[in-house]
This record gives sequence, structure tokens and C-alpha cells, in this order.
Amino acid sequence: MTLANATPLPRILGNIRPRPRWREARLIALVGAAIVVGSISLELAQRSDEPGVLRGLSPAEPFHLLVYLGALVVAHLAQVVTGRRTDQVLLPAVGLLGGISLLLMERLPQNLVVQHFGDSDFGLADVQLIWLVMSIVLATTLSIVVRSDRWLRLYKYTWAAAGVALLLLTFVLGTEINGQRLTLSFGPISGQPSELLKVILVVFLAGYLSENRPLLVEESTRIGPIAIPPLPYLAPMVAMWAIALGIVVVQRDLGAALLFFAVFLLLLYTATARLSYVFLGLILFLVGAWVMYQIVPHVRTRVDIWIDPFASPQGAGYQVVQSLYAFARGGLIGTGLGGGLPTVGGGQPGGIPEVHTDFPLAALGEELGLVGITAILGIYLVVIERGLRIGAAAGDEFRSLLSAGLALVIGVQAFIIAAGNLKLIPLTGITLPFISYGGSSLLVNGIVVGLLLALSDRGVEPPPPPRPRSRLGRLAQRAGIA
Amino acid sequence: MTRQPVGRSIAHVGLALTIAFGVLAGGAGYWQVIRSQELSTAPDNPAVVAAARQILRGRIVDRNGKVLASNERDENGEPYRVYSSKIVSPVVGYASRLYGSAGIERSFGAELTGLSDPDPIRNLLKKFQTDPYDPQSLTLSLSFELQRAAVRGLGDDRGAVVMLDPRTGEVLVLASTPTFDASAIANPVTSKKAFEAAADDRAKPLLPRATQGRYVPGSVFKIVTAVAALGSGAIEPTTTFPGQQQAERDGLVVEGFRIREHGGVPVRRFDLAHATEVSSNIFFALAGLETGGENLAEYAARMGFGAPLDFDLPTAVSQITNARGSEPGGFIDRVELANAAYGQAETFVTPLQMALVAATVANDGELMRPHLVTALTGKDGTRSLAPRSLRQVISKADADAITTAMVRAVEGELGRQFTPGAKVPGVETAGKSGTAELGGRGEPHSWFIGFAPADDPQIAIAVLVERGGRGGERAAPLAGSLLEAYFDTVAP
Amino acid sequence: MDGFTVTIWVVRLLFLALLYLFLFGVARALLRDLRAAAREPIAELGRLVVVASPAGEPVAGTTLSLDAITTIGRDVNNAIVVDDQFASAEHAVLTYRGRTWYVEDLDSTNGTFVNGARVEGVAPLGYGDELQIGQVRLRLDRPRR
Repeated sequence: MTLANATPLPRILGNIRPRPRWREARLIALVGAAIVVGSISLELAQRSDEPGVLRGLSPAEPFHLLVYLGALVVAHLAQVVTGRRTDQVLLPAVGLLGGISLLLMERLPQNLVVQHFGDSDFGLADVQLIWLVMSIVLATTLSIVVRSDRWLRLYKYTWAAAGVALLLLTFVLGTEINGQRLTLSFGPISGQPSELLKVILVVFLAGYLSENRPLLVEESTRIGPIAIPPLPYLAPMVAMWAIALGIVVVQRDLGAALLFFAVFLLLLYTATARLSYVFLGLILFLVGAWVMYQIVPHVRTRVDIWIDPFASPQGAGYQVVQSLYAFARGGLIGTGLGGGLPTVGGGQPGGIPEVHTDFPLAALGEELGLVGITAILGIYLVVIERGLRIGAAAGDEFRSLLSAGLALVIGVQAFIIAAGNLKLIPLTGITLPFISYGGSSLLVNGIVVGLLLALSDRGVEPPPPPRPRSRLGRLAQRAGIA
Repeated sequence: MTRQPVGRSIAHVGLALTIAFGVLAGGAGYWQVIRSQELSTAPDNPAVVAAARQILRGRIVDRNGKVLASNERDENGEPYRVYSSKIVSPVVGYASRLYGSAGIERSFGAELTGLSDPDPIRNLLKKFQTDPYDPQSLTLSLSFELQRAAVRGLGDDRGAVVMLDPRTGEVLVLASTPTFDASAIANPVTSKKAFEAAADDRAKPLLPRATQGRYVPGSVFKIVTAVAALGSGAIEPTTTFPGQQQAERDGLVVEGFRIREHGGVPVRRFDLAHATEVSSNIFFALAGLETGGENLAEYAARMGFGAPLDFDLPTAVSQITNARGSEPGGFIDRVELANAAYGQAETFVTPLQMALVAATVANDGELMRPHLVTALTGKDGTRSLAPRSLRQVISKADADAITTAMVRAVEGELGRQFTPGAKVPGVETAGKSGTAELGGRGEPHSWFIGFAPADDPQIAIAVLVERGGRGGERAAPLAGSLLEAYFDTVAP
Repeated sequence: MDGFTVTIWVVRLLFLALLYLFLFGVARALLRDLRAAAREPIAELGRLVVVASPAGEPVAGTTLSLDAITTIGRDVNNAIVVDDQFASAEHAVLTYRGRTWYVEDLDSTNGTFVNGARVEGVAPLGYGDELQIGQVRLRLDRPRR
């Protein structure tokens, strides 16, 4: 008896039935209030050299505020109207981070970034606003439109190949900035493909690990008390490690390599629940790191600065030293938005180099103090937790791993750059998700959030049964089941 | 066959990340609360630098209230610093817009600009005030009169004088010549020219010789050897060496190297006091060998050798050896140890360090932390900084023995020949002169260290005159006159 | 402290307070969800109760949870390992489609039986039905939830 092979192709928009999302609405109102108050405080600070003149409380850059909060509200309403039963906390949390980013970009000197479109000049905050809005639009669109994960689940090797191709393309064609080949430029548009790579990596890993999970868990080669994955499956793991090292050496992007490897190890643990695999991975990491330290001067510099940045406070250690000074100036409650030094660094123009991309946390540390930094770290934890929760409640293993992986991508990245700013680990050049300036970063993180929202939708079709392994699979297929 | 559900693993990962972020918050707390004060007042913290440009810095006065540094305004109304005299430049330093700051202006920059409040609670609340800056005025232990006397005494020679109170560690004189005109550097009009002229001057007026000049000590180092020898118990005050008589005549052979005595030393055995009086190289070489490199290094370190001194200004490191050798204490061989023991090996000292040696002996073996700043005065009154003891280096008994020896060096029949003019009339003076041979041509450095009165010391001194000839030629008489000036003016 | 300074600091502290308000607003539900998620396994679709198992593997009387696709056989790579001499290495597969369970016999030597009737190819399996693989009998039960 054969079953009809019938799974109706999901229609893009699925069922549309407006549903209220009160929790999200309340949270977005709170976010809006916070950002408006923050903006007012910024405006007050910028007028503080005219003391005694109280001209009423008005926000700085009201136009930016309006556009940004408007985007959040529209995103909220879009999900209400289309009746998506997606997670209600993720968007407000991300919105709050984006709002803080906007406030920060408004406060920094606008001439750090200048883009010309037609007749007008766009400064730092303007450009960041554009990217933020686009990111929100992207996330919302994905959350509404993505109704099935089939396209992610079934083509994992294709995705992997695309990722490798992207990596090679960047290396070959990329433009070199600061000795790092990370950017692909086509005309006026430039982006960092390594950001997209991390998503592709998660998609591939989720598919690969969910498919091979039984094997990885149940069959393992034992060396003494330590279990290592079965040898045929050890190969991809070592390949991952080699790719990570390759990125460090060839592209000199320490942060990306660290991120990939960390996400990989965490997902491996999630899939197999075997700590021994993680330990093995850590050993590989330490060995690789030690080797890199010996032979790659770039790595050596970074590690030396990490150990004692005050040894070269005007030279290589300048960034880290200024970052620590900024945190110290902040103290417990900070200097208030706009109250810190103009470029969060030297009085001369310059300050902390790349403060808007690499050191936003230091700037926020100076202005919001320990209290503010803890709050921001808390918001990141909220985002991670929502993502992990979506993973824990997901319909099957692929979705679990995918959601968890996406949450980890944001969370681990935030951890790495925050730790670098705070001299807990060597500094790397990756961005703080949703807060750093950077189009590619915002867009890709928007995709991540959009996918997470889509995966959290309780109204989405239940996942298809996973494809069984080869021989059984063919048999089952013949029988018309799979 | 049972697999842990993915949900459990995810919970573990979530927990791990929460802990990781907790560590981040802890890290932030470390920098923002625990190290906050220290980093916020670091001189090259841009906030300090930025504030320094706008704020009216506090004044700096000497121990008698004489103003050493104050402010004036230029034509734009912006303040700049003026200094009362060139003689205090090595101590007070300068604060200029173009060239940053140096000296006390730099090391106490945060206090002078009022960026840091001594009271931590007020510091926290400072941000709530409209005028949060409370520039402090500094009172120094420096004596302008004595400093002037010291600089005059050095004259055209290059050199340094350090005078400090061994009971408290207060520094009364910290003179270096040649000196420079700090006012010219601080004045925006003349700043560039003056600084460049000073920087290009081959006599290096910008180098504070008293704290950062490193010189071969010569015989004044014998006091260090005495401290180590008595402190470690290698010798007693009455110890004499059997082979000394012959060595005095024929020289002391150490591992094939012959150490010769200088002229004027009797050819017989004698003890520590006599050895100090005649400045016997042989005796101290023997004492050094007996003490051993490790003890010598350790007692020297207790007095500050081997590391920058804990002082209100930056100091250079004094060393007893290059420490590249494998013998105890870092010496290459026993020859080097023997030569170092009488001050002629790879030994380099700063005048301040030698003054601390004298002060240790003077203060019954207890080393007090040297300091210049004695009080900070702000809006809420004056806060005094108390003297602090660093450590007990040797026992009072040992210190007394060395004092006796040093009194003989100044007041004894033979001693007087080596330290003419060092004695203060009417006051029992202790001291040691030194002639630092530099090898090759040229005059040796002239050194003197000492303290007075010997039974209840109030003042310790170190004098160095570069290329001044024998110790007795320049350093000893200058020290004597300065000590006398002290008793006449500061403590009549 | 003048009026301006007071105002600006009130606003600044208000901003920080609002950040924390957001966190608290989320926190309560957060903790609840996290605990629930940790306890909650992947949604169970059905269970197999081991009615009889002469060879001892799987253990008689135990309940096995089922994934959407569950393989049964003597080979150790199966999701449910039946260590019975009358079971083939790859004996049968249980799948869940739509809202129904199906069992497919994978050309096993001794056949797969549902309630005593031999299964050719694919057959639906309802809750309460008994499945026989070799000498092992298993009953399909509703999920716990």
C-alpha cells in the first residue's frame, strides 16, 4: 500500500488572520520610552555648555527617532496583521539594542562615516539609521514570509559549498583594509561576506549534526576514558578546525575564526551532549592557538597587547588602553549620554580608533557606567535565551539546532567583542551585533533574527519526517513514504 | 539508545552562556569600579589631559609656604603656569600645552587639576556638581633656601644634591644642575623655542640627575656593603681579616685578578670603623666576598636597588650588577663581586638612592618612604600625608656600628683627610666620601653621603659632582656647607 | 546643584531605569520558560510498550519513545534494537505522517505482523495495535501529553 506523496507546497503567506500581540506591544512601548528618554538626555548633554538655560526637554534628532520607532511599530503591526504567532520578546529586545546603537551613533562625531547620495551628505547616525531600518524590515519580512525550513534543511551541502565559494571569492577579489581581506566591493556597495558565512555555517551544521546525530552519539571511538567521534565523522570536525586556522592565517580575521569554532563546539555539544567532544575541541583550539602564536606575527601582537597593553600605551596597545580608560571614567553610573569625551579617547581628533565599529561597548561604558553595561549584557542574554528557548521547543532536531545555532551566533559574537574590549580575551575585529556600526553586520543579524522569528512561529506546518539514512532511505522512498 | 533530549543540552549551553556573560559583567565591574580611580587619574588618560588645559591648576608651595608654581592668564584669558625659579625645575617640572607635563606637575597632575578627590564618596558624587573640579594646592617638603644654596654650591658643574629627613622621609633638597627654565616652557609664547633649546642642549638640563642620573658610586657604595655584611651576619663590627695585612701590601688576588689598595691606607689589619675611615678597598672587597653576592643583592634590594623607587617622581633603577652572571646575586664571578663591594664594578646608582642608604643608617636601620608632597589643600581644607615606613633594613645595633664608622670617616684623624670640609662645626657629623673612577681619561665623579647629628640624625645628604675630582675635592666640602646651612636656617 | 544639573541627571538615571524595567519585564517569563523548556523533550508523537521480549533486548515492560521515523531491527544502528534471532538486521520502520502511524516491512526474512496479520509493504498502525517483530511484541500507545 503506497501513500500518496502529498505535502501541499506551502503558500508564501500562509493563513492571514490578524491576532493581537499584547506582550510585544507593551515591550515596544517600553523600548520607545527608553529611547526617547535617552535621546532627551543626549540633547540636554549637548546643550550643557549653556548652563542655567532650561529650554524645555526635547530629544536630539527627533527625525531619527520618529523613523526608527516608526519602523519598530510597523514591524509589530505587520506581524499582528498577518497573525504570525512568533516570539514576542525578540523584536523588542533587538529594537532596544538598535535604539541604543542609534543614540550612540548620534553622540559620536558624525564625520566618522560620510556617504554621499546625490546631493546630500549622510553622516554616521544617518547611515546607521538606514541600515537599522533595513535590518528591521528584513527581519520582519523573513518572519512573515518564511513558512517552511525545507530550503534550509535539504540543501545543506549546497549551502556549504556556497559558503566555501564565498570565502574563496572574498580572499581572491576582496579589497584589503588594514591588512585584512574582508570586504567585497561592487561599485559603491561594499559588504563583509564573513558575516553571511556564519549563518551559512550554522545552517550547514544544523543539518549535518541533526542527520548524523545517532551516529555521533552512539558510535564513538574510545581512547581510554575519552570518547571521540567516530573517525569518519571526525574528519569534518578537524576540517572545521583547519578552516578556522586558515581564516586566521590567510585573512587575519581572528574574531571570525574564534566565532566559527566556538559556535561549532557549542552546537556539537547541543547535538551530542558529549562533553568529551567539547574537551577534544578545546584541546585542538589550544594547540592551534599556540601554534598560531608562534608563527603568525599578527596573532603574537594581539596576544602581547592583551597581556600587557600598558607596555605600549602609545603604540600597539593604544586602542585597548584607551578603551580601559573609557570604562574607568564611566565608573558606576557613567557620565551620562553625551557626557563623555567626544571621541571617547584623546582630546585630539582620533580618540579610540574605530570606536564606532570595534569599541562601542567602551563608549557605552563611559557614558552609561557599570549599571548600563550590565543592562546591555542582560539584553543580549535575553536575545540568546529567546533563541535557545525557540530551539528547545522546536519540532525536531534540525530546527532545534538551527535555532540554537542562530542564537549562539549572536550571543557568542557579542561575548567575544565585549570580552576583547574589557581585556578578558585578546581584541578581535568583529562587530557587536546590533550596536556596532556596519551595514553587513546589521543586515545579517537581521536575517538571523528573522529566521529565529520564523522558526518560532507556532502556526507553521509541522516539520516533515527527517530523511532516513541512505539504504533505508531509498527503501522508504520506494515505498513512497519519504 | 536513550539520548539526552536536545532540550537539556540547550539548557546547559544557556547556562554556560549566562555564566560567561556574568564573567563579562564582572570584568566590567573590575575596570569600572575597582581600578576606576587609578586609571582615571593616570597622567595620560585623555580626560586628565583635556581637563588640564582648561582648569586653573593648584599652586605648589615649599615647606615654608613660598610659592613655587602659580598661574597667570594669557591674552585670551586662558591660564598658563609660571614658576618662581629655575632652581626647583627638576622637582616641580612644568605643565605646558604643547609638551604635556613633567615632574610633580605630572605625577600629581590629577590632584592639581582637581580631577580626583581624595574623598572617595565625594569623588562619586562629583559628577552631580556643576563645578566638580577642586584643584588642590600642594605643599612640598622642599626648602627653597636650601635648594638655592645647593644649586649655587654646584655652580657650573653638572651634578646633584639630595637632602632628606631620615626620620620622616621628607625631601628638603632635590637639586640637579644644569637646570632649565620651566617658566619659559610653560609660557605659550616661548614654549616651543625654550623646549627645543633645552632638549638639544648637550648638557641635558631636562634630565633630573638627582633621580634619574645613574653613576658609578665609588667608595660611597662601601656603606651598602657594610649594611649587607653586618645585616647578614657575615662580619661583626670587630671583625678583622687574617690575610689583610699582606693584601694591603701586595694587593688582593681574587681568582687571578689583583685588587690594589689606594694610597694612604695603613698596612695592617683593621676593623670596619677604621676601614671606613680610610676607605679601604681591600677590607671591603674581603667583606663583600665574605657576605656573598646573594646577601649583597638582597640587602641592597631592601634599600631600593633593583627597582624604581617608591617616590613621588619617576626614578631610574640603581643596580649593583648587570645580573647577567650565574653566580649568586647575578655576578659573573667573584672578581666582580669583590670589585662591586668597594663600588667599582657594574654598579650604577642614583643620588637619591645613595641618600636613602645614608638615611637608613641614620634612622636606626629603618628606611622611610621618601616623599615630596606633604599636604593637599582644597576647598574643604588641608589633608596631610603621613610619613610611611618602608621596612627595617638592619637592626639598630648594626646601624649604630656603621654610624660610628661613618663618624670616624668625617671626624677621625685619618678620615678628615678624605672628607675635608664635611664636618659641621659643633655638630657630630657622619659621612663617607667617594671617588668614582671612570677609567680612561678625565676626572672621576666626586661623591659624598652622610647625615647629622650622628647621635640623633635630623638630616641626611647625598652629593654628586660629575667629574668633580676626588670625593674630598668637591662633594665633601659642599655637603658640609649645606649641612651647616641646614642647621642655621631650617633647624636653628 | 542647580536646576539644570538636577534635571539632566534625573533624565540620565531615568534612562538607565527604563533599561532595567525592560529586563524585569522580560525576566519573569524568561525564567518560567527556561525551566519548562529544559524539562520538555521534543514533542512525543507516540510510544511503544514492550509487551513481550524473550531475548531480553529490548527489555520487556519498558516503554520506548518514538521519533517521527523509527527504524527497528537487529542491527545496532537501528533506533530500536531487537536482539532476536528471528529478526532481520533491518526489519521494519515506523513512520508518522499527517496524524497516522504507519509501519513498513523492509523485506524481512520472517515478516512483520500487526495484530497477527502479516504486513506487506506499508500498513497503518493505530493506537493499541500490537506489532510483532521476530518474537518481540510491541504495542503502540498514545503519547504522554
